[in-house]
Amino acid sequence: MLRPWLAAGVIAAALVTSAGASTVDETALDIQTREVAKTLRCTVCQTENIWESGSPFARQLRDNVRERLEKGQSPEDIRAYFLSRYGDYILMQPPTRGVNWLVWLGPFALLLIGGALLYRTLRGWVTQTPLPAPPADPLDEPSRRRIERELHS
Amino acid sequence: MTRGWQIALIVGLLGLFALFYQGLWGNPRLIPTVLIGTPAPAFAGPAVGADGTVSLEQFRGKVVMLNFWASWCLECRLEHQNLLAINERFGRDPNFVMLGVNYQDQEADALAYLRTYGSNFAHVRDVKGAISFDYGVYGVPETFVVDQQGVIRCKTIGPIIGTVYAEYTQRLLPGLLQGGTEAVTC
Repeated sequence: MLRPWLAAGVIAAALVTSAGASTVDETALDIQTREVAKTLRCTVCQTENIWESGSPFARQLRDNVRERLEKGQSPEDIRAYFLSRYGDYILMQPPTRGVNWLVWLGPFALLLIGGALLYRTLRGWVTQTPLPAPPADPLDEPSRRRIERELHS
Repeated sequence: MTRGWQIALIVGLLGLFALFYQGLWGNPRLIPTVLIGTPAPAFAGPAVGADGTVSLEQFRGKVVMLNFWASWCLECRLEHQNLLAINERFGRDPNFVMLGVNYQDQEADALAYLRTYGSNFAHVRDVKGAISFDYGVYGVPETFVVDQQGVIRCKTIGPIIGTVYAEYTQRLLPGLLQGGTEAVTC
């Protein structure tokens, strides 16, 4: 029968081995390349970044990013380089300046305007709708006298 | 609602419709260039089918027409005879040079292409895509025209055919060869 301390040792060794295995195949350079590549748009595939795209253009761009990182360029330098060559389109997130603010703030502005219009419209409906008239007396005088007479008879 | 707010709302809605129109019916592949009016990036690379290197520096002071192409590119075939005709006509001017940049291609395929369709100008291999990235190229064919001061004056995405060809041969290249700069762009 397996002794408890031996079992604990085997489990610990397995955990250490599996934890090590998950980091062995990806270097710091790989991670940095992936992080930069995920911020750059694949210009031939429209909605994909160059990390996820399988196009030759994206592959070449990824290699270029990697080479630049190897040469010691920072992620900001690399993004600035591609921005200077391809314009804002190359970035997955448009930079927050100039007319790009419209892209960032536009949806919130439209939400606010829509909300204000909705509030105004609903408020208009509420104030314009007349209050319900009080119910008319369901019994006229002769009917009431007749009911009383029959009750007391 | 005041009249001012009504006008602002209508203008905003028209703006939205314009965005939707551009998004739905515009050409999503067309990325506006940011390089017009900027210095042409220097480059050097191995010549296609020849020894030695080809560099932009060799042609300083000339109008340079830089055409990015590949043997697998069907649209490049459409424009190829026009490129040969342009070089045939303007290549006589000592201030003009046409250069081909072979993009994402194998040299053997590029040479076979040039043997099939002909060539009367030099070509450089863009081995790792560095030249293409420097010029913001994302597909082929793309053509740049650099003036005698080394400034990019024109970028054309797609083949040099039809009205584009006419524009190049009748206005752009003659204007730049006569020393035109700012006024001669495409």
